[in-house]
Amino acid sequence: MFKRLAVRALTYGPLSFFLLVSLYPLIWLLFYSFKDNEEIFSTNVFGIPGEWRWENYSNAFGVFDIVAYFKNSLIVSIGTVVFTGFLALMFSYAAARMRWRFANISRIYMTSGMFIPMQIILIPLLILVRDMHLQNSYFAVIVPYVAFQLSFATIIFYAFFRSLPYEIEESAAIDGASVYTTFFRIMVPLVKPAIASVSIFVFLFAWNEFLVALIMISDNALKTLPLGLLYFQTQFGSDWGAMGAVMVISTIPTIVVYLLFSEQIEKALTVSSAVKG
Amino acid sequence: MTSKRSYNIALLVFTLPTLLFFTVIVVYPILQTFQKSFFDWDGLTPPTFIGFDNYVRLLDDSDFWVSLKNGLIFALVLVVYQIGLGTLLAIALSTKTLRGRKFFRTSYFVPVVLSGVVVSQLWIAIYNADGGLINSLFRLFGIQYEQAWLSGEHTSIWAIAFSGAWHHLGIQLVLIYTAIKSIPEQLYEAATIDGAPFWKMHWKITIPLLSETYKFCLVIAITGGLNAFQNMFVMTNGGPGNISYTLTFMMYKAAFRSGEYGYGSAAAAVLVLECLLFTILINKYIAREKISY
Repeated sequence: MFKRLAVRALTYGPLSFFLLVSLYPLIWLLFYSFKDNEEIFSTNVFGIPGEWRWENYSNAFGVFDIVAYFKNSLIVSIGTVVFTGFLALMFSYAAARMRWRFANISRIYMTSGMFIPMQIILIPLLILVRDMHLQNSYFAVIVPYVAFQLSFATIIFYAFFRSLPYEIEESAAIDGASVYTTFFRIMVPLVKPAIASVSIFVFLFAWNEFLVALIMISDNALKTLPLGLLYFQTQFGSDWGAMGAVMVISTIPTIVVYLLFSEQIEKALTVSSAVKG
Repeated sequence: MTSKRSYNIALLVFTLPTLLFFTVIVVYPILQTFQKSFFDWDGLTPPTFIGFDNYVRLLDDSDFWVSLKNGLIFALVLVVYQIGLGTLLAIALSTKTLRGRKFFRTSYFVPVVLSGVVVSQLWIAIYNADGGLINSLFRLFGIQYEQAWLSGEHTSIWAIAFSGAWHHLGIQLVLIYTAIKSIPEQLYEAATIDGAPFWKMHWKITIPLLSETYKFCLVIAITGGLNAFQNMFVMTNGGPGNISYTLTFMMYKAAFRSGEYGYGSAAAAVLVLECLLFTILINKYIAREKISY
């Protein structure tokens, strides 16, 4: 009896401690987004706000054009998801299901991107984007995002296409369906779960990405949320409560997406880790 | 015959756009980075070939050595916290009798979906020298350990690295957890019958069987640490002085602030080689034999 209790305490104790380490900073952020500086740093550091200062949030919308940054992030993220999904689906289908000599080598070529950090190519990429005259458009970030997410998306789609039985195409071919019809009408609907996983992952990536956006976007009208946050920090950095409010607003969509789709995210992560490092 | 031809055309339609796109946007720039590291170049006027001068200059630059050291520290913190602690948490979570496993797993993962900028800004507040969360905690427990975490010479990079480790713990945890779940039950049953204690059982069975997963985890943790940038960019801007520089930060500063694209490319090239070296070492020394159950 005593031993069982001790074992329980030894598992739940550390698990709960690190649960607190993971979550309390976020709760603390939520609290301080409703406080003023004095409460945050001296009178009421840990607990719930003494007075709920909603004006922090109205400041976030008034002083800081959060709606515009939100819109930019949405356009960039959705654009990245659509192009990545389309290109990766077609390629993975060909690599997994069609017969050609370089199927395997080109798949390995595509997956190699998983291990290339984006910062390494930033300098040539900026020149490239400049030469293609993409600088003052959303494509300045969408193009690199898609290129870098292709590897991950290919790995996931390839694994799913590989798991489908070959009779599907054989019977489609007997019915006289072309390669395109088979692909769009039969195969793509069959890998919907994979499309969901990849979309969520790529969306979160594009929503949160910072470094490429920092280098590629100079036009204020095109800036995404992470850049907006940085701008807010330099302008109003001493108003911690309003800063917190902006951070909370920009984080809510990603947390909602995660809570809705946590299963798909975990699945995608696990499949992608199966590639050889 | 026509069907064979249309099949080949379809093949091109399906593969060529992706392959071309990837080649132009990812692969070609990598080669460019290496090539340009041998040039003196401001990004606008034609580059001048200067051989290994950029690399020689790197070796003489004190920023470079600080950056190299900080990258390694960052990687070390990620490995210890994400993989070390991640393993312990994953083993605890895989215990069948534990209640709320899904809740724990979801909660550990939540920070992962935050943007790096939000995480960095949050930790600026947490590390705040006057009344930040950490210093307030020390005060609460009456411990004389309050300090300026982000500007202290010996604490800065560790503090920044910890915020990065905290951010992505969930990814490694999920990877390790799923790998543990795929280990056949019988292996543990046999060990339980033999009366092996809990931790010894996992040390002898679980950890060795995870080596394929560890390979992947180590590669992403170590390259992630070596490549670190946005944490220091947002939290300390590399400072005070150069104490929280990393190679990516050096590259950023050289290319995009001083307009020395050649020098920045050399820093990036060193970074690639460093990542490559670690990836090769990891593949060489971990899990040399194929695992099969």
